[in-house]
Amino acid sequence: MSKKWMGFTMATALVSLTLLAGCGNNANNAGESPAASSPATSSAPADGSASPDAPAGDPTKLVISTWGFSAEFFDAEVFGPFEKAHNVKIVLETGNNADRLNKIRQGTSDIDVVYLSDYYAQQAIDEGLFEKIDPTKIPNIQNIFSIAQAPLGVDYGPAYTVGQLGIAYNPDMVDKEITSWSDLWDPSLKNNLTMPNITGTAGPMVVDAASRVAGNSTFNEDAAFSKLAELKDNVVKFYGQTSEFVNMFAQQEIAGGPIMESYFKDLQAAVPGAKFVKPAEGGYAVMNTLNVVKGSKNKELAEAFIDWQLSKEVQEKSAKAKVDSPVNKDVQLTEEEAKGVTYGAEVIEKLNKLDMAFVNKNIANWTDRWNKEVAN
Amino acid sequence: MKKSVLYGLLLPGLLFLGIFMVIPIVLTIGSTFYHDGTLTLSGYTHFFGDSYFNQILLTTVVVSLITTLLCLALGFPTAYYISRKTARSKGILLAIAIFPLLTSPIVRSFSWMIILGRKGLINDAIVGLGLSDKPLDILYTPTAIVIGLTHLFLPIMIISLVGVLENIDTDLVIAAQSLGASRMSAFVRIVFPLALPGIVIGAVLVFVGSLTAYTTPALLGGKQRVISTFLYQNAMTLNDWFLASVIAVIMIAITFIVVGLMNRAARQLNPKG
Repeated sequence: MSKKWMGFTMATALVSLTLLAGCGNNANNAGESPAASSPATSSAPADGSASPDAPAGDPTKLVISTWGFSAEFFDAEVFGPFEKAHNVKIVLETGNNADRLNKIRQGTSDIDVVYLSDYYAQQAIDEGLFEKIDPTKIPNIQNIFSIAQAPLGVDYGPAYTVGQLGIAYNPDMVDKEITSWSDLWDPSLKNNLTMPNITGTAGPMVVDAASRVAGNSTFNEDAAFSKLAELKDNVVKFYGQTSEFVNMFAQQEIAGGPIMESYFKDLQAAVPGAKFVKPAEGGYAVMNTLNVVKGSKNKELAEAFIDWQLSKEVQEKSAKAKVDSPVNKDVQLTEEEAKGVTYGAEVIEKLNKLDMAFVNKNIANWTDRWNKEVAN
Repeated sequence: MKKSVLYGLLLPGLLFLGIFMVIPIVLTIGSTFYHDGTLTLSGYTHFFGDSYFNQILLTTVVVSLITTLLCLALGFPTAYYISRKTARSKGILLAIAIFPLLTSPIVRSFSWMIILGRKGLINDAIVGLGLSDKPLDILYTPTAIVIGLTHLFLPIMIISLVGVLENIDTDLVIAAQSLGASRMSAFVRIVFPLALPGIVIGAVLVFVGSLTAYTTPALLGGKQRVISTFLYQNAMTLNDWFLASVIAVIMIAITFIVVGLMNRAARQLNPKG
């Protein structure tokens, strides 16, 4: 074969390498909630009317980074009214926690407010990516459960929702009734279980649960990992995004696994007989926080937005729409309204809570062990 | 035209490649030898000293090789058939062969999830025909990755082969047969050697594509990782760009090694090619 061919082959190989590498990026949004690609929220109403105390002139641009789930609800009930009241134009950036945090890490974005789960928010705090907030500018912090007020320290943003990680399963596919974390190890779930990946928010919680199942009252890393290794025969796939769980559940590739309560409605839509279990050893608190990104030019506006997300009005609406569990103490829900949301002071106080600073210190090591001992 | 003018025409392309490809690749490669302020090979010794990483690498290479061979086995007869047709039907057949490329890999992976799943078409058929009383586990295994990747890259193999095969003069085959060669030996000694450049290009494209594919293994694969999903984990969720760069460089190195080996094999099979 001539040199010419060799050169051409090399070139095509390299070009395809670059092209294909580029394509890869799309994949990660693929499993995202359907609304993830929603563009910026609707701008100010056509008639141009603004509330009386809104500042006049051109609207200020406020960039908010969020997951993108329940986009319609957020547009109509959270972002829209805030835009009107403060003469603001909200621009959204959507994606999963890791992608959005990475974007902030690159330092080239102009994001003002970021929604992140506590696990990822703690990473951002450790790396100095957030502004310190002024709690006096966010008076509603006083009206939310204490667990949510300063989950990552008083200098940083509150949790606007506290959900719970429990177990969901399809009773038609398992002989045994599942009531606890330890039931995940039951042989009746052989080849029928999905577990969250270590790198997701729920991953470290599962590590902690395994330590408890192994009989430890304080966290024992070695016991946790050897217990998790015993799950191998049960696990079909480790999921990275909740949508993967929902897909596998709907297609009956799995009978169940650990999942956040707030996503249970999606499972029920696919499998009406599905059950959500609050495990006997305790569910895990999943806190989603709001923070102001370092370098934001609209810090006060950002704080006002955080205050608005904590307000009784927004909290009640998102609870009733089953979008987010409420943390505002003034929100009252009927039994019917409370279905599928994590509701009530005593329920929330009882949840197991991880020390995120501890998790972050260990996560690289845990991921390594998880890869080698659990997920292979 | 003057030579300098011709070089001038090259300039925009060269600049583009230089700025957006050569420099980033060189920087990436350079960064893997520099860690914590010192020049070091630790990234690589750590990687190759770890049986878990080697396992991922092996799985990936094996899956890519099987995919390449499957694409070749399925693509060659198809391409040969297409190349013998008249220009008109060739166009139509090629369009049909390329058609799957118009759908995104994500959509195709999801379709395979439905086909290969426990309640999928294949398992319905297997259980329905009584071949097995329990559905087979195909989805979330390396087999599913191979199936998905073969579907993904077969069109590329076909295009590469058609281009070469249609330029092979049929008179050569007729001449060989008239001189007493059997159909088989005419194929083996005339068509196949002349088709080698196409085979090499097709094989390289499919192999490299399979090696670097992310979507298909992420969606169809199970507990076992392949190198691209492992790279993603390191870069995006662990923020370990050093290890991610090491993996990227290893992927580039594998590509060059495989391209080199294929070229070498092709040279031996067809020294005049």
